[in-house]
Amino acid sequence: MLDTQTSPRDGASRLGQDEHDDTLSARNSRFAPGASLVVRVRREENGRTRYDTFNVPYRKWMRVLDALNWIAENAATDLAYRWICGSKMCGTCAVRMNGREVLACWEAVEPEMTIEPLRNLPVIRDLVVDRAPFENKAARLEPWIERPVAYQGFPEPLSHKQMKDASKALDCIGCMCCYSACPVIGLGDLTDFAGPAPLVQLGQTALDPRNSPAKVARSLALTGIFNCVSCYKCEEVCPAAIPIVSRVIEPLKAKAAQLVPEMAGHARALRRIVAARGRVDPGALVLSVQGLRALARLPRIVRLFLRGKINPVRTLFGTKTVAAEPARRLLGREVPR
Amino acid sequence: MHTLTADVAIIGGGAAGCYAALNLQRRGLKPLIICKGLVGKSGASLFAGNLVISGRLLGNTEAQARNTAEFLIKYHNQFLIDQEWARRCGAWIEQVYYPELEELGLYFRRDDEGNVVTSPGAIRSVAANVQGNSGVPFMDLRRKQVIRAGIPRLEETVATALVRNDDGNIGGVFCLNIMTGEYVVVRARAIVLATGYSDRLHKRSTGTREMSADGLAMAWRAGATMVNMEMQWWHTNDIADPPTWQRMQVYPNPMLGSEKSARMVNSAGEEFFNQQNDDPLAFGPYTVQLKALVKQVHAGKARYDGGYYAGFDNCDASEVETYTTYGKTFRQLGLRFPEQLVETAVTSHYRQGGIDVDTATMCSSIPGLYAAGGVSGHSNGLIGLATYDGKVVSDGIAAAFDSLTDRPIPGSECEAERRRLEKLRSRSGGGVSPAKVKEKLRKLMWDKVGVEKNAAGMRSALDDIEEIRLDILPDMAISAQSPVANYEWLDAIDVMNMVEVCELIVHSSLERKESRGPFIRTDFPATDNRNWLVANVLKKSGNGLRFEQRPYQLPFFSPGFDVRDNLQVAW
Repeated sequence: MLDTQTSPRDGASRLGQDEHDDTLSARNSRFAPGASLVVRVRREENGRTRYDTFNVPYRKWMRVLDALNWIAENAATDLAYRWICGSKMCGTCAVRMNGREVLACWEAVEPEMTIEPLRNLPVIRDLVVDRAPFENKAARLEPWIERPVAYQGFPEPLSHKQMKDASKALDCIGCMCCYSACPVIGLGDLTDFAGPAPLVQLGQTALDPRNSPAKVARSLALTGIFNCVSCYKCEEVCPAAIPIVSRVIEPLKAKAAQLVPEMAGHARALRRIVAARGRVDPGALVLSVQGLRALARLPRIVRLFLRGKINPVRTLFGTKTVAAEPARRLLGREVPR
Repeated sequence: MHTLTADVAIIGGGAAGCYAALNLQRRGLKPLIICKGLVGKSGASLFAGNLVISGRLLGNTEAQARNTAEFLIKYHNQFLIDQEWARRCGAWIEQVYYPELEELGLYFRRDDEGNVVTSPGAIRSVAANVQGNSGVPFMDLRRKQVIRAGIPRLEETVATALVRNDDGNIGGVFCLNIMTGEYVVVRARAIVLATGYSDRLHKRSTGTREMSADGLAMAWRAGATMVNMEMQWWHTNDIADPPTWQRMQVYPNPMLGSEKSARMVNSAGEEFFNQQNDDPLAFGPYTVQLKALVKQVHAGKARYDGGYYAGFDNCDASEVETYTTYGKTFRQLGLRFPEQLVETAVTSHYRQGGIDVDTATMCSSIPGLYAAGGVSGHSNGLIGLATYDGKVVSDGIAAAFDSLTDRPIPGSECEAERRRLEKLRSRSGGGVSPAKVKEKLRKLMWDKVGVEKNAAGMRSALDDIEEIRLDILPDMAISAQSPVANYEWLDAIDVMNMVEVCELIVHSSLERKESRGPFIRTDFPATDNRNWLVANVLKKSGNGLRFEQRPYQLPFFSPGFDVRDNLQVAW
């Protein structure tokens, strides 16, 4: 049974919370009055790093930011950490606590905490990261509205049904927790993926029915969105509880497939193959996406074959499975060529 | 040290500053924004919970339109407001503000049928996406507008002084980039202070990390006239624990899509405030709530720093959570929502007073120096009013632009400021840390210049401030000398401004010999419209200060009594 005291988020993200004593009500009642916590903080300046340890007295309902404030006021006055509002609005205080991204002002403290800066961004000093890579990527996507028809005056015709997904994205506070948690962003320049946070910023207007499709297409073309592997890491850490994959990235992918079909070559090929054969055929997928270029990577093809990943015989001569008919019924009509 | 040139330097990246910059750019001038935090992410604008409907918008009746104006003048400003300015502002919000925001793409929350969702009642409001969080998409939109317009931004850059050009007029801003430690001088023909009204000067304050009264301190040092600095507003129901959440509010306002609102309960479990029942006209009922709490404190059933509770146990969870963020706070603390209430406390919130301006142009008493939004002293806050100030100041500057001079800034002027800052950074050793000085100052303001004050306490506060100034500040020391992201150095810069402004607030509070709305003096408990329906004007004279009074005109609304016990006055 779902505990009504935990976050309103449903489903998989709460699995195991009760069993591991990790519900919100448990996280807020771990300490007896007068307890203290052990806080290790990663310090960094001019490329030299170290971990400092502090004993911090617990205060009722203490947040991670309260612990950092205590340290900066009492133990290490030179600690560099960024915060502005202290109430989950500005999105500037995100750090990693025990390896997971949290908004320091929002998250309850743990008895033992290791606090580190966000990943995937350059560290300026201690816990302060350079926000520029995220800001520049978001700005490059031009996350604003261009109206295809003139505005009709306040209030214009619009319903929440039309704004359902955009509305979720509008909860974004730009804290970059998801950007730090994203494994594809962690690959660096290997992909041109914009990353979850810039995509959510784009989703605010790209999923808004008032925006011009041409404008949305122009922005989506810059996102590398199909590099997203839908691992849900972003969703898991989002302090604003935005369903980033299901309500932002997936709808954006659908839009990209429709408005910028050449971006979605891989996804469209997969769909076509499943519709035609009733199964995934990796060999057909490689051929379909890479075409003759596949031959230039012969050693890789051989390796895939030796490991049983592809089967050229089955790809070229294999028959349809029994699933082909239902698959075609489900997918066939919608596959854009 | 390098110099940048702009037509207009705007200090502050909130609602007023952003709008001023955008409007100036539209008019063909070159603005530049200096922001201590991040444009659209700092200050009080982000905290806008909802947006008040003015005039006859969205089916407002004539009575609702009038109620809104009456609320603004009476409950929000206790008649210390230029009512003609308020009328112009209301008309602009009705005709320009809402359509302009929506055209840009701001999402005014609809239901599934496409109706804009409003709060019902004597005064109505709407939300941007969700109530309790409207400032976030609102200011995010401004941030993106500023980026899209290509307006230069100096972010995480603190303005430390207004500098004079070789004519002796204010002609530039001295700045420090907090992230790199570099100094920047911005030379401009006009300077707009838009640093907000929620400075963190009390132990509990809604003011954010960066709000340390910099705008007021710089203006005062430059010789600007101040007004009504004593008029401090309070939140009565912000979360008591943890300290970080001192600015997290259990919103007392009417809720979107519901007839109910939060209720407040004393330590004996008795309800003592519920806006929709107690005072439907008090849309943002902060003063009414505060007065209700003062009576509870007098009866021993609450304290200003806790011992009373607020919440939504009179509502269904879905009623609260369909259009608001209000349940999230409770859930995050592991409380059962809406059954459980949360302990709350008083938090200093907006300051109504500030830099004295001409409300037609937002020009201060110093030519070329303007103030917009909360830092100016002509009205209390609401994001719409701050935005209107941004419009007025940009129009004012554009009209006067040809008469404003553009002269070089002598190197000596900048060198003096650079040396002052370097000295603050290089002082190490056994002295008190800036964080501890801040704590001490905030504590004394809370204890002696808090909700209820009197002359004896405030004189003692002045002695304490004098002690800080003479004995503690000269020894203040920081532990790291790195110029990069050195927040301790920033704290030291902040403290100098805070000490100066706290002193002005205490002097102004001693000068107003009455109680009015949230300004409560135990030695002068009555609201005195005969003698004090006036602007409490503070001017620099030599090394000291002097006060003058300026009466307010009452063209539309007036209090209707001469003298009455403040706690018996509704507003």
